[in-house]
Amino acid sequence: MAAWVKGGATDADGAVTAAAAILSAARTPVFAGLNAEVAAISAAYRLAGRIGASVDSLGGDATYAELGALSRVGAMTTTPAEVIGRADAVLVVGDAPLKTPLLETLRATQPSRGRAAGAARAVHHLAAGASLPVAIAHLRAHARGHLDSDPALLTIARALAGALYGAVLYEPGEVGAPGIEMLQGLVMDLNEATRCFTLPLSGADQDRAALQVAAWTTGQAIRTGFGRRVPEHDPWRFDAGRLAASGEADAALWLASLPAPAPAWLSGLPSVALVCGEADPGAAEVVIQVGEPGREVGGVLWNAGRAALTYRAPAAPAERPSAAAIIERIAAAVVERDAARKDS
Amino acid sequence: MLIRIQGGRVVDPTANRDAVGDVWVEDGRIVPPSERQPDQTLDATGCVVMAGGVEVHSHIAGGNVITSRLLLPELYVSEAAPEGHPFAHAGGAAGWIGATYARMGYTTAVEPAMPPVQALATQLELADIPLLDRGALTVMGNDDQLLQILRDGEGKAAVRDLVALNVATSRGLGVKCINAGGASAFKDGALRLSLDDEIPCYGLSTRKIMGALLDAVEEIGVPHPLHVHCNNLGLPGADDSFVATLDAAEGRRIHFAHAQFYAYGVVDPENPMTGGFRSAARRITDAVMANPNATLDIGQVVFGQTVTVSLDILRQFGGRKGAKPKKWVLNAGDAEGGGVVPFLYRPKGPVSSLQWAIGLEIMLLSGDPERTILTTDHPNGGPFTQYPRIIHLLMSKEERDREIAALPGVVAERSDLATLEREYTLSEIAQLTRSGPAKLLGLTDRGHLRAGGRADIAVYRDDPDRTAMFTAAKYVLKDGDVIVRDGEVVSWRQGKSLSLTVESDKAMERRTESYLQDRYGQGLDSFTVPDAAFAAKGPVFEDVACRA
Repeated sequence: MAAWVKGGATDADGAVTAAAAILSAARTPVFAGLNAEVAAISAAYRLAGRIGASVDSLGGDATYAELGALSRVGAMTTTPAEVIGRADAVLVVGDAPLKTPLLETLRATQPSRGRAAGAARAVHHLAAGASLPVAIAHLRAHARGHLDSDPALLTIARALAGALYGAVLYEPGEVGAPGIEMLQGLVMDLNEATRCFTLPLSGADQDRAALQVAAWTTGQAIRTGFGRRVPEHDPWRFDAGRLAASGEADAALWLASLPAPAPAWLSGLPSVALVCGEADPGAAEVVIQVGEPGREVGGVLWNAGRAALTYRAPAAPAERPSAAAIIERIAAAVVERDAARKDS
Repeated sequence: MLIRIQGGRVVDPTANRDAVGDVWVEDGRIVPPSERQPDQTLDATGCVVMAGGVEVHSHIAGGNVITSRLLLPELYVSEAAPEGHPFAHAGGAAGWIGATYARMGYTTAVEPAMPPVQALATQLELADIPLLDRGALTVMGNDDQLLQILRDGEGKAAVRDLVALNVATSRGLGVKCINAGGASAFKDGALRLSLDDEIPCYGLSTRKIMGALLDAVEEIGVPHPLHVHCNNLGLPGADDSFVATLDAAEGRRIHFAHAQFYAYGVVDPENPMTGGFRSAARRITDAVMANPNATLDIGQVVFGQTVTVSLDILRQFGGRKGAKPKKWVLNAGDAEGGGVVPFLYRPKGPVSSLQWAIGLEIMLLSGDPERTILTTDHPNGGPFTQYPRIIHLLMSKEERDREIAALPGVVAERSDLATLEREYTLSEIAQLTRSGPAKLLGLTDRGHLRAGGRADIAVYRDDPDRTAMFTAAKYVLKDGDVIVRDGEVVSWRQGKSLSLTVESDKAMERRTESYLQDRYGQGLDSFTVPDAAFAAKGPVFEDVACRA
């Protein structure tokens, strides 16, 4: 195992002790990244609960665009396999989905299941333009018959209304919460007469895994803080970037057992980084190299193709500790420090 | 360690036992009375001693439950954590679920709706529920692979092999079908489905799909009968669907989920959908009592805000406009799909009052409480935390009268609840919440206090306020360890996830591998629930054998 404290190489015990010292001394520690396997995310929540930290994730902004709309109006969603199998009309909202392998597959295939089986598949595009939420609102107005001035929008609206199974692809970060809300409204309207579902594309991060772990562990979504010994969910308050920029955070744990660029603010406060691959010893005050799930160690990861969690066995097993094991060791060291503090 | 639970009123209907006495425990099991000096004595004077409660139908894990937390972050209140578990008081979270059930004296809980494609996430979530043993039912009946096999008339062996493979892969404890064919039909535009309606694109019906699953469950020897969520849940006339489904079982073992939601008889045959409903509790109860192959759980409604979660996407789509607050999620997932619709059972509202009455009526009319199991279909009829209150109402006519007096007249006009004099005995409560559900799941090691049984035991202070009595047990033992003392969790041990030992057929594995590769570009190994995924937790699963 490779580990560094203040840039100098050290052993596991030294790094774990230094990490525990930073985290247990902090009053408002933040955990960020969570670009990791389920066991590590779960361990991070347990440690956060113990020391009163708050938690955020790599894809926080996109995730919260989605969650904001979800908790206001709900959603009608489907999965990639269902879209590939059933959709006879696909609407790509914004530009981000254009570059995905899923869209290539959709262009190259046609529906094979359900009532649209064998039909041709039409792919439409609503370009990002000046304001995507406004474009979506105009499309919804055309679909409802409130507007008919834009022939391109009218074509898309008619295509979705005439489809047997429509699918609307979007990337939440690009569309934003107000746009997603409008889009869900459009799809809900369409379902009065036919079937149409949204497919929000997940990012390259593990937010979809982190979201599930957060929900079953704390009853809430990812951005939850434990500073008052009660899980409190607040997307604004517990935005790690904001906490660092405002100076509220006084320590950080960066968890990225899958590759992810560390945020610039990390080096600005006492911090611990658990990272995979060729670690930068200067990325944080304490840097510990951990096994990459699915490559060096086993782990449960978000599987976008199946829209589910999947266990990935190590493809090239390496003698590296899992991030979960390191977090458990840090937690144990924190408990020891607390016990010693109580005794003294 | 030898433990003596001394001087309590021991209630075990499976042994015709209801008298003051002792229960002895050693090495996690109930043992015969011993001459030896116990290592620990738990004073149960003035208490009632029962087996640990067994839950057969409570939505405590899985995709819909996750979505409900995100859709309604305000539904539960979180409180400061106690020592020992950082999330035990995090409202609605896994830790809270385990702790709350345990405090009520429950020691086993089953999540009834695990779609095989989501099995790993569901099992990971279940494994995080502390204190209890838990399990999940594998849901089938809408997946294209099964429907293709049935459409192509491949016969019983193929269905059996596919069901066995799905149970083995997902590590289920049993098999459930939810409005069989309904999710598939919904995706193809249907808005209603009854037992013999044709499922578009497959030429099948619910009757055919369910019949095939009933046979498969018997052939595999699954201890729990097929767990059936019928068509037309919650609609006036759903009693017809219930009875037709029971007839369609043709004597095969069948369990009906949340029967209360089907005990709705049409009031006005001219306008069945708009004329309202009246209690069909007697019809449902009579039908089940006349068919010893059948069991049901209630799905009792309790007043207040909740959220309905169901894989019955057809039904959830139909109910979306009744959402309160006005937001809902429908996910047309692979095979099953699902819907999350917030709902308020209006206190004193005529419809919710009638629903409330019907659930109680079914239990009070039942000639065999072991076959009419108490559930609220958590959280669909209301939260499981209301069990103590429901038990109170069953045990006290006076308490029921007091509640009925505050409800609208429709309760007396459209149900017989007010006329029912019956008061449940403690033995009958034990049948309703212990021996019945344990037998139903085929778990012979629990639900009773006979020697050799698992030492899952609840000790309650005998209190005429049954709500208080059953909310916070004096002691709860899980596998012989005291986990609750005076209503508080004192030991945060982990239970086991119960999963059926099923052999899957190699030819079906190869065939399914190719089906999945074609559909997802990924094979069976991406659908499994391997021990390695739980490595950090130690052994999580415990095998349950199939029937010989």
